Formats: sequence, C-alpha cells, structure tokens
Amino acid sequence: MIELRNLTKSFRTPAGRKVLFRDVNAIFPEGKNIGILGRNGAGKSTLLKLMGGIDYPDSGAVITDQRISWPMGLSGGFQGSMTGRENAAFICGIHGIWGAEKRKVLDRVQEFAEIGSYFDAPVKTYSSGMRSRLAFGLSISVDFDYYLVDEVMSVGDAHFKHKCEQVIAEKRKTSNFIIVAHSMATLKKNCDVGIYLGPSGLQIFDTVQEAIDLYQAGVPKPAQGTPAQPASKV
Amino acid sequence: MHPTIQRSPWRIQRDVIHALLIREMKTRFGKWRLGYAWVLLEPAMHIMVLATIFSLLGREFYPGIPTLLFMLGGIAPFIFFSSSFGKGVAAVESNRGLFNYRQLRPFDAVLSRVLLEFAIYVFSLVTLLGILAWFGVVAEFNDFLLLVVVNLLFFGFCFGVSLTMCVVGTKFPEASKFAPMIVRPLYFISGVFFSLEQVPQEYHGYLSWNPLLHMIELTREGLFASYHGMFANLPYLATSSLAMLAFGLLVYRSQWRDLVRSQ
Repeated sequence: MIELRNLTKSFRTPAGRKVLFRDVNAIFPEGKNIGILGRNGAGKSTLLKLMGGIDYPDSGAVITDQRISWPMGLSGGFQGSMTGRENAAFICGIHGIWGAEKRKVLDRVQEFAEIGSYFDAPVKTYSSGMRSRLAFGLSISVDFDYYLVDEVMSVGDAHFKHKCEQVIAEKRKTSNFIIVAHSMATLKKNCDVGIYLGPSGLQIFDTVQEAIDLYQAGVPKPAQGTPAQPASKV
Repeated sequence: MHPTIQRSPWRIQRDVIHALLIREMKTRFGKWRLGYAWVLLEPAMHIMVLATIFSLLGREFYPGIPTLLFMLGGIAPFIFFSSSFGKGVAAVESNRGLFNYRQLRPFDAVLSRVLLEFAIYVFSLVTLLGILAWFGVVAEFNDFLLLVVVNLLFFGFCFGVSLTMCVVGTKFPEASKFAPMIVRPLYFISGVFFSLEQVPQEYHGYLSWNPLLHMIELTREGLFASYHGMFANLPYLATSSLAMLAFGLLVYRSQWRDLVRSQ
C-alpha cells in the first residue's frame, strides 16, 4: 500500500511559487500499477520521486511499507572513474547484497547490459547507451515491491527496448510499477491506475484509460471541484 | 529473481557506510599512480616541508623532542580536522547523484568521509612514527590510553563540525569560499607548530578557548613523555567535543530534508 497524505509540493520560480499539487490524499492498494501522465514540467518526475522517498514534499507525507526502487535506469549515481563492475558492486552494497550473492548479481547485470569487457572499464568511457543499459540492468537485478520507471523505455536501440519490455512483463508477475511515460501504448499495456497532472492539479482515475483520454483532450474537465479524488475504491 | 530481505535500520546503516567506504577509497586513490600510497604520502610531504623549514631555522623546537616528531604530533590531527571541515562543506554537492537511492542520505556521506579521514589520520600517524623511529628519530612514548580517549573525542568533534558544515555549505553555497578563510587562521592559533608554553603569557587566556589547541597539546602529551601539556585540559576537550557533536547532530536533524529536497 502506498498512501499519499495531505501531500503538497511547490517549486520556487522567478515568478513566485508554482504549486504542483496541494493537499493530495490517495491510497494505492497493493497490486496496482500506476501510470503518471501530464505535460512537460507538470511535476510527473517529482511525484515519482516523492513516492520513492527520494524527494520530500513541502508538507504531508508518503506512507508505505513497500520496498520501492530508485528510478529505474538512473545513471546519475555512477562514479565516472570507477568501473561498471565497481559501480554495480556499490549499488549491491547499499542494498545489502554482498559476497557470493553479489557476484551472481554482477554476472547477471553484465549479461543483461551486453557491454562485455566494458564492464571492467571506467564508466566515464561509456557511451550514453551503454550507461543506460548498465543502469537498467542494475535496476532489475535488485528485487523490489514497486519499481519506479521514468521514461526509460525511450532509451537504447530497438533490440534493447524490446528486451526491456520483456523484462518488465516478467517482473510484473511479482512486482508493481509506477510509470511516467509519454507513450500511451506503454501506459495502456502496463498500468491499472492513472494519475493525470494537469492545469487543475492532480487527478486520480481508476483506470489509466480515463487519464489518457483527459490528457489527449488537452483540456481539464470543466466543473471539477476538487483537484484530487481519492482512489481508495480501486 | 533473488530477494532483498527486509533489513533492520541498523543493518541498512551498516551496509550503506560499508559500501560508501569502499567507494570513497576507490575514487580517492584509485585514479592515481601509487594509489593507496597517497594515504601516507600526503601528510608525509606536508610534515616534511614544515619540519624542514623549522629545522633550517636551526633551533631545537622543544627540549627532548625531535622537531620532526613535534611537528608530526600537530600536523596529523590538524589535517584530519581541516579535511573533515572541507569534506563536510562539499558532502552534498559532490554526492547529489547518490541521493537517488533512498537509504543514502547526506548523513551517510558525511559519516563515511569522516570515518575514512580518521582512519587515514590514525594510520598515517602510526606509520610515520614507525618510519621515523626506524631512522632513529625517537622520543619516549607516554600514554596510550590518553591517546585513545583524546582521539575518540576528537572524532566526535570533527564529525560534529563536518555535519554542521554540510548543512551550512548546502544552505549557503558561498560558505565554500569562506571555508579556507576559517581553517587557515586556525592553523596558526591551534598550536600546530608551537606549544602554548612558547607563547607569551598574556595570550594564553585567549588561545586556550580553542578546542583544537587542547586536542593537539593532549596528543603530544600522549605521544611524548617529555612533553608537558601544561595548559591542556581533558575535561574541556571532552565537553567541547560532546557539545560540538550534539550541535552538529541537532543542526543536521532539523535541516536534513531541506538538503536533499528539490525546492
């Protein structure tokens, strides 16, 4: 279960505070995959990070007993002068994976990322595609209840994309996903619940299709009194 | 696939610090020729330069203690202090990417860095003493227990300073410009290359407010039997260290979300 309680988040801009959403209350029961849509700058990634416990709201809280991943495919935590293997070992370490278990994970990452001997070269020598492959391989090698996906499906070549989709389909059997994407096909295929971040704030729908319709209509529904609806029914 | 089991908070903390220590070691020394030898070379060069200058002045610095050892006893702790200070200021900015992992917060970055600095300090101090002894530069050893106590307190002091600077340096990035301006004068008033006895009486009252001075005096007293840390005051060091540690923890606790939060 992931509960959003009185969640408020705003950003400082030169023209004053921009409120992304205010006093959002919602409960996402276990077993629901969540899709987040909205226009650029609407706060999709921020919401994802708030739910993942990486960023913090101005007020309110995200309450959960689930293990939530870091944003999948994220390569910002890599240290350029360390090799892919050392970086991967570090991530294993902070997740409590050591020794033989760690070696198994490293082998799997190397295999998945298909970077061959580059695995033992400093990460700064990687191409951006190689970086994301390594990052993605790492994300799926550590087990979580919820995986956060922030537009990773758009990186890499066709072959890699296909592989990612396969892995996500496999993972969905045991875990849930919270996905930010602009590809409606991805959202439709992977998500149950939809969150739309629009001009009137944050709206939650029981099916992702409703959120997609609203997003594609490009306008907020008229006469929407409260910006957020509780999703506890889903 | 394979499960990450639910870990206790203590276990998570330990895993994170362990992984960070390995990472720090790799990034700090892995890229250079001679690698880990720099753990020793850095303070050694520093000490040798200063010691040479003072030896060239041609006077015995402190009766009964070779100048080299005298300097070593002051410089090694001071390097630990100043790097804790500097690492704290930069801890958040240089680790931004790492805070994408929710179990890793600035506290861990600061703690692992101070731990590593402390290990380097102790290791280099012991090794350099050993090397100098090999070449016949020795002074009679005094009190091991005192050294242990003093250094534990010193660790707490530096950790407190580092946590405080982590918050200050992130909230006010300009602080990184001022940091050297604070540390450098401390170098001259902390007894790194003098003993309080060698300073005119009327300044004692002012200088002895500085906990670093007590730290260095007490280290020398622990190391050398013929050193009289007349003004060194262990209770004062203990009080100021614990106060500094408490202050650092409080400041961090009240501000930590702001350090990571997007604004």
